Amino acid sequence: MNQHHEVRLNVNGTEHTVSVPPRKLLVDCLREDLRLTGTHVGCEQGVCGACTIIMDGQNVRSCLMFAVQADGASIETIESLASGPEDLHPVQQAFVDCHGLQCGFCTPGMVLAAKSFLEQNPSPTDDEIREAIAGNICRCTGYTFIVDAIRTAAERMAGEEAGQHV
Amino acid sequence: MSETQAETQAATQQPKLLGARVTRVEDPRFLTGNGRYVDDIALPGMLHVAFVRSTMAHADITGVNVEAAASHPGVHAVVTGAEMAGEAKPITCDSLVPTWQATEYPALAHERVRFVGEAVAAVVADDRYIAEDASELVRVEYSAREPVASIEAAIRDGAPRLHDSWEDNFFVKRHFNGGDVEGAMAEADGVLELDLVSHRHSGIPLECRGCIADYNRGDNTLTLWTSTQIPHLVRTGLADVLEMPENSIRVIAPEVGGGYGIKGHLFPEEIAVAVLARKLGRAVKWIEDRREHLLACIHAREHHHRLQVAYKQDGTVTGIKALLYVDCGAYSVYPWTSTMDTGMALGILPGPYRIRNYECEAYSVTTNKCPLGPYRGVARPAACFSIERAMDEVAHAVGLDPFEVRRRNLVRDDEFPYESVTGLIYDSGSFHEALEKVCRDGDLEGMRRLQEEARAEGRYLGIGFSCYTEQTAHTTNEFIKRGVPIIFGYDTAIVRMDPSGTVLVHVSTHSHGQGHETTYAQVVADQLGIPLESVKVAFGDTAATPYGHGTFASRSAVLAGGASLRAAQKVAEMLVRFAAEHLEADPGDIELAQGKAFVRGSASRGVEIADLARWAYHRPEKLPDGMEPVLEAVSSYDADPGTGTFANAAHLVLVEVDPETGGVKLLRYAVTEDCGRMINPLIVDGQVHGGVAQGIGGALLEEFVYDENGQLLTTTFLDYLLPGATDIPKIEVTHLETLSPFTLEGIKGMGEGGAIGPGPAVASAVADALSPFGHVFVNELPLTPERVRKFVQQATGNAA
Repeated sequence: MNQHHEVRLNVNGTEHTVSVPPRKLLVDCLREDLRLTGTHVGCEQGVCGACTIIMDGQNVRSCLMFAVQADGASIETIESLASGPEDLHPVQQAFVDCHGLQCGFCTPGMVLAAKSFLEQNPSPTDDEIREAIAGNICRCTGYTFIVDAIRTAAERMAGEEAGQHV
Repeated sequence: MSETQAETQAATQQPKLLGARVTRVEDPRFLTGNGRYVDDIALPGMLHVAFVRSTMAHADITGVNVEAAASHPGVHAVVTGAEMAGEAKPITCDSLVPTWQATEYPALAHERVRFVGEAVAAVVADDRYIAEDASELVRVEYSAREPVASIEAAIRDGAPRLHDSWEDNFFVKRHFNGGDVEGAMAEADGVLELDLVSHRHSGIPLECRGCIADYNRGDNTLTLWTSTQIPHLVRTGLADVLEMPENSIRVIAPEVGGGYGIKGHLFPEEIAVAVLARKLGRAVKWIEDRREHLLACIHAREHHHRLQVAYKQDGTVTGIKALLYVDCGAYSVYPWTSTMDTGMALGILPGPYRIRNYECEAYSVTTNKCPLGPYRGVARPAACFSIERAMDEVAHAVGLDPFEVRRRNLVRDDEFPYESVTGLIYDSGSFHEALEKVCRDGDLEGMRRLQEEARAEGRYLGIGFSCYTEQTAHTTNEFIKRGVPIIFGYDTAIVRMDPSGTVLVHVSTHSHGQGHETTYAQVVADQLGIPLESVKVAFGDTAATPYGHGTFASRSAVLAGGASLRAAQKVAEMLVRFAAEHLEADPGDIELAQGKAFVRGSASRGVEIADLARWAYHRPEKLPDGMEPVLEAVSSYDADPGTGTFANAAHLVLVEVDPETGGVKLLRYAVTEDCGRMINPLIVDGQVHGGVAQGIGGALLEEFVYDENGQLLTTTFLDYLLPGATDIPKIEVTHLETLSPFTLEGIKGMGEGGAIGPGPAVASAVADALSPFGHVFVNELPLTPERVRKFVQQATGNAA
């Protein structure tokens, strides 16, 4: 059980090789081996969504996978979205402007869920936004301002896109 | 005003930040994954703990065999309750109320366990995986005792005692009698008898508990990083149980991923982890998993109320007799005691209504369940549920609109400050206006139209109200009255301007979502005439912050906000004095604005505050005679006259009930909130939203279910349901601003309020939705599908 395996991961554009026991969860590997602590653990049962990452273009709960299962995968974590506080992704900026976070614990998972949702559905209705984040529990905000933030981000990104075509 | 005057004014004044809808300065670090929570901290050589927890609700421990666990590879220590008892005293937290009976809550259970999930042994290993493997090798032998798994089981004659020295199973018995209840009952046109039940649930922060202890054998100091709302009180509590001098303990609360009252306790696990670090001389970490959290952290809000409500035919409620039981679980919690819920419920049950005849008996009951502690609203959700449901039932009995019955009973605007029958001082409020406004802003008329249309289609829509007054910023006298051992009346701030002219504010409260880094900075920047960006707010580290109580009870904005304001005023006075000397002007003529000190009305006669700061520290010869070269002040604040301040609100909800499935869907939710002057309306809105969502969770979904043996059946998020984005409608919030006459700037607290109103409002709406079947008294929360089906059948039966 404790025999280690080498696992190759491309995380946020950087190639890593880590040596982990087969039972180590992907989220623990990201947090402990790569020290990417922006991905959080809220339930270890795949219900709360705090550990959401994007793996090969799909939203994934990193608490429900072993690191060895991710061998060869490309992973995006919250740390990939912005180079610093002055350079926020439009989804992140909309969360600031709309007060879409309070304690911040669900926030990385929520932001990633919103980002990949908007890539699939760039002009969603509020109901579609609520469906899209239904698997990410937020205990602080009551969701109203999160929905506002995601709608605002969608509008801004659509505006940017339109601007680029002019 | 001439153009020059206008220019001068623009240059020498700055718009007030207090009251502005400022976005939060703390957000970028959370959004980029740079928030640093306890589990994000790794110390060199750190070891990891897993706890062995009781599988029995009530039993004697007859043996603990740790041999196999201790010899498991990678294990450094296995500690049992017997060993722990020699290292740390149990947690005791004693009320001063005369009927109080005390408990001892050990860090690890020793000799006896009293709830499923109570920690029995701790395993320390190289990593958490190994610690959990080894914890399964610890063999605990139990001799079962009869479990006491409900209020009924605890209070019946001959019930087994949980605590041997007690006379019965009551932590505390309270009695209050005000006015002439018997007279009111005798003269009433009718008396309703109402039983109301709020089932056990909790705050469930998304970040579980966790802590890291590190013990330095060189100077015998202990550092504890812990996910807490109350770092100083944890330090004081630890010093007591570990018998260490308090100046040798440093508690650091880093980012805390949600608290809601639940993380406002000293926990047995914190003590155990500290002892393990001291024993091993290594850093030791424990991160709670979700199962542990649901089993053994803090539960809340389990209330059974029985009311007799005397009313007149005009809808006025003339008297109430109440019998309250609260299931407080196995142990009294630090620093609150197990008296909080009964004390609060007894005091606030009459709510915003003019009820002068009131008698209440209230019992805090001990059972073989997880200890009960404060959760957002503390007893007020249950108290509000009782009184609001009573108002609806009175309306039904006399044939009046529930809105009208409330209007006839609410305290009037001309009665403030109003002393309630239980002696609470409602400082100010807008009880009538809030109710009227929520009906307008939430479009009650439109809701009624929708309801009518839906009924024509065979759909069941219902409308519900609730009103409440929220006691906030409970100050000294209020806590003295409650008999708690620690009086949480004040909080504290240090405002420190450095040589560059930027300011660091250290406060004794802790922010874990409330946005204090923004709101306190708004308060301080206004006083010092500097931009928001020049003020940084820090908290959580007892080695850096002044002593105070922490964040709970909707108190931080009023008390630590007030302390920050006062400390900033003291620093502003220093700057004014220094500037007056430098500008050769009268201190009374100096104004601080736009980063400068000006002579009033003269934009040209000014000096940069940053220059004053630099000179104060580096060119002290420039200072006025007798002024010290330190731009720093400490202040504490406890709002006079020590009775707290009362916010108020009204909630309005539209629901749809499916009578076949028992499903309840919330279609619209509106709140009108009055918390006095708002420091930051954006943050106030966010707090209301969050409270309402938690209240809706308690109204529809969340429930800890124990079986008759005291086994908890809801130990995952598949059994204990939290509201997701599709369960919560858009929450519409509007405001009134009735200032408090008692607090600085008229600010009232408001963090809990949102969570108080939803239970009764949703219950009222469900009853209204089911009214085509017949009248039904919806008296139990949460309204799970099963219970809603029960109410459909009752309604049908009542009609027949």
